Amino acid sequence: MENSGIIAIAAAMAIAISTLGPSIAQGLTAKSAMESIARQPDAAKDIRSTLIISLALMEALTIYGLLIGFMLISKI
Amino acid sequence: MGEKSKVIIELFGFLDVTGEVIGMWIILGIITLISLIVRLTLKEKPGKFQNIIETGIEYLDNFFGDTLGKKKSRKYFTFLATLFIFIIFSNYSGLFPGMGMTEFVKAPTSSLSVTAGLGIVTFVFLQIAGLRHSVKHYFKRFVSPMFFMLPLLLLDEIIKPASLALRLYGNIFGEETVTEELYHILPIGAPAVMMILSLLFCALQAVVFTMLVSIYLDEVTEE
Repeated sequence: MENSGIIAIAAAMAIAISTLGPSIAQGLTAKSAMESIARQPDAAKDIRSTLIISLALMEALTIYGLLIGFMLISKI
Repeated sequence: MGEKSKVIIELFGFLDVTGEVIGMWIILGIITLISLIVRLTLKEKPGKFQNIIETGIEYLDNFFGDTLGKKKSRKYFTFLATLFIFIIFSNYSGLFPGMGMTEFVKAPTSSLSVTAGLGIVTFVFLQIAGLRHSVKHYFKRFVSPMFFMLPLLLLDEIIKPASLALRLYGNIFGEETVTEELYHILPIGAPAVMMILSLLFCALQAVVFTMLVSIYLDEVTEE
């Protein structure tokens, strides 16, 4: 196909751009979780479980981009 | 989504059995076997095996109790725990050597059809649970702050199961694909890096899926 170059770039862009937002958000989340654990070590267990779940929810956004990337790659 | 699976057996001429379905059969067999063994050797003084299973069930009970409250979590425990156990077994099944490398056995949750099925089951369950709880509350929820929110809230109801299905599928499928690519680069050693990460993510995805279902359930059945 003559469009395969464009599709390859589109797939790369899909995963690259969709990584940006969630990675910043994950960094901020981990930062504030660490701060609150340092301030209140007793609540570390609760904070950790909430942290992991919120990280996984942000991860999902990147995964959507990854899915689109795979779908595009399969079109080449 | 243009997903293609190779049909391995055709049952009765119209049921297509793919690698994912065979993987699901094996997992169902293992879960049934474990439950039967535990059920038949149930004792007042638990042995080693019974202790492990009891710890797991207690963990699940506490986990759902935290989000739903003791009374509601006990009421819906069977559905939520079944969902959790099935998802975690299917996620971990992808880590066995050879799974996904052949056409015959694949991790069930690496296929969109399976996760979409789980999403639809969850959707129906939430509607029924909401209606059985209180019909008035069920309909009031769609117009709760303002009347013009109705289309958005209806859309939200459909997006919930879709995002659950896509999240689970994307994570497991992505992991499997990355592991396979690493295998092609360097067959010995390289896939292990991704597989160690998968050990964490597989459990996490099962936790997130059931956690979200229990949060949605809490929403539809609140007093």
